[in-house]
Amino acid sequence: MSSPFAINGGACVAMVGKDCVAIACDLRLGLQALTVSNDFPKIFPFGSSTYLGLTGLATDVATVSELFRFKVNMYRLREERDIGPQTFANLVSSSLYERRFGPWFVSPVVAGINEKTGKPFICGFDSIGCIDFAKDFIVSGTASDQLFGTCEGLWEPDLEPEDLFETISQALLNAVDRDALSGWGAHVYIIEKDKVTKRLLKGRQD
Amino acid sequence: MASISSFAMPSEAPTYSFAAAQSASGQPRQHGFYPYTDNGGSTLGISGDSFTILAGDTRSTSGYNINTRYAPKLFKLGGSGPNHEGSKIVLSVVGFAADGNALQERLDTIVKMYKYQHGKDISVHACAQRLSHILYNKRFFPYYVHAILGGIDEEGKGALYSYDPVGSYEREQCRAAGAAASLIMPFLDNQVNLKNQYDPNSGPGLEKVQRVPKPLDRTTVEEIVRDAFTSAVERHIEVGDGLQMMIITKDGIEEVYTPLKQD
Amino acid sequence: MDALVSRYSRPAFQNEGYSKEDQQQALQDVAPPLSLNFALPPVASAASWLRAMTDDHSNPNVPIKIAHGTTTLAFRFKGGIIVATDSRATAGNWIASQTVKKVIEINPMLLGTMAGGAADCQYWLAYLGMQCRLHELRQKRRISVAAASKILANLVYSYKGMGLSMGTMCAGVTPTEGPALYYIDSDGTRLAGNLFCVGSGQTFAYGVLDAEYKYELEDEEALELGRRSILAATHRDAYSGGYINLYHVKESGWVKHGFTDTNPVFWETKLKKGEFSNVTANLD
Repeated sequence: MSSPFAINGGACVAMVGKDCVAIACDLRLGLQALTVSNDFPKIFPFGSSTYLGLTGLATDVATVSELFRFKVNMYRLREERDIGPQTFANLVSSSLYERRFGPWFVSPVVAGINEKTGKPFICGFDSIGCIDFAKDFIVSGTASDQLFGTCEGLWEPDLEPEDLFETISQALLNAVDRDALSGWGAHVYIIEKDKVTKRLLKGRQD
Repeated sequence: MASISSFAMPSEAPTYSFAAAQSASGQPRQHGFYPYTDNGGSTLGISGDSFTILAGDTRSTSGYNINTRYAPKLFKLGGSGPNHEGSKIVLSVVGFAADGNALQERLDTIVKMYKYQHGKDISVHACAQRLSHILYNKRFFPYYVHAILGGIDEEGKGALYSYDPVGSYEREQCRAAGAAASLIMPFLDNQVNLKNQYDPNSGPGLEKVQRVPKPLDRTTVEEIVRDAFTSAVERHIEVGDGLQMMIITKDGIEEVYTPLKQD
Repeated sequence: MDALVSRYSRPAFQNEGYSKEDQQQALQDVAPPLSLNFALPPVASAASWLRAMTDDHSNPNVPIKIAHGTTTLAFRFKGGIIVATDSRATAGNWIASQTVKKVIEINPMLLGTMAGGAADCQYWLAYLGMQCRLHELRQKRRISVAAASKILANLVYSYKGMGLSMGTMCAGVTPTEGPALYYIDSDGTRLAGNLFCVGSGQTFAYGVLDAEYKYELEDEEALELGRRSILAATHRDAYSGGYINLYHVKESGWVKHGFTDTNPVFWETKLKKGEFSNVTANLD
């Protein structure tokens, strides 16, 4: 039997630029070889500039994203403000570790800009909540090896928003084109201090 | 709670050594005969208009150990003497080094015998087909290798052939093989074959024109090869130490060695 | 005296170097032993050992991953036979190549398709080409498709249980048989038929092909149907994709109709004909 992480397929990547971050995901949902849906985004917004990407088992992606929607809504009611990316990352980490012995089969990625400091923030997790803080990029999903290669080859420090968009798009598209289980279009978010741009990428459909 | 202790984190578990992977699964071993070791490393080949470049890192690993920091994966075929002078075909092999060496020796002998019997050098085309047959001859007891063969074809153009372990082969523009193939190959698709790149001056939607790859010059290709390997070294533990490059032109083979990170 | 003269007038090194037998041996060693003499592992059951090493279906962590995954189709119609394939090779979830030539040109009249193990198909169809040429030389006439396909079927049957993996179609047009199409697989199956799809994407290709197929298709319609069936399969099957390889087999031999990237073909089919409406083209 194949790994629960690789049944549905999917890929996600986040990158840091100059005063901006980007997060992108593919749109495929499959059952092994069969492509079931071409419209299954894996990035979820939590507040004005905090984003969560989830790859892995699709049922857990849906459940975990809903769980965090609930938790972040509760946070907003109590604190009367949006959750910041660092706080959210710790929430993700502790929530995942609660399931230490029966984990959610997801590999989350968090990207955002800290409203107070204005600094970009990205991080990734394993399925039981160990945080991977990175200054450059974070990858996850069935195309993670390919994404490591493309990101390491294309990324450079201090990219302006438009250049960051081009870089993350090329990194994602070329990576998923070498993975049978992800692709079929992509969503890209470019997050700046007080502006978020969401774009749909026309990827290969095979 | 036996189910907990036997729970292996799927896909996250390291599979760098086959021996480790088998014992980690905790299942009884089906076959005592296990003649392969993965010696890691990566190779890469790009062919241009009048040249072919083959490259490979020089690290040799087994599991998490480094056997040596200098074990070449590139071999000149034919030519004369122990240094293969005048050779114009290069074989790169990655996977199980012992099988790789055996394969290289066999093909080298054949290339030399060809010259001895026909009085001329073997063409890359013929050499490529012969390599395929050698690999297929061990269809039921395969050589555990991914081979790439490079040379100059009869028209003077760069020629590159890539193989699977049992001998299916194809002529290509570029190919990465070995441990970091999955990291390098998509980068090459993008930078050599210009995949997913469109002409910025073309119109929207269906009018978008895909950029057409044109043959690259030698310095550009060398730069791409170096970039590909420095990237792979950062993210793959089995790749590193040194980069061996062989540039094949009509005048012969030029060999370049550059150090890579040793961590 | 004569004996003495002859003894010392021989070329000095006559008996050195290679003897006749050695030379014969050297020639034999260099001429590729094309088949039927394969190295085997030193174990009791070669087949099950090989399976343990290479079958990534039962164990995704096998050391040697052999390229799999395909959509190929061929069908007979009024104007001959259409043969179409995708071009993707996968090893597990990794796309090893997007440019595989899965139509093998056995000779100018005969085509074979490739599904299953890439090396098995390449090697044995090349071997079949050799046998067909030998048949021509010996019998002074071209081999029938029936006979050619049977050579292959008997060959793979003799290796049954050894782990060969191939699902192939042989297509050709001969004066005696007309357009003839055979399906042969590594189990030893050999079937004559009008229409076959083979590979992991076969069901998707059948879906389109069965709906639109009729024997009286015109050449252009038939080519378009082949193209569209492969396109459907590449879209829905993860292990199919890349380029559409299209051939038309006629009595005068086969004609190639391109090796076309699926990506522009897909978007043209979607945006101009309004098909594939499941694919989102706008952002919500």
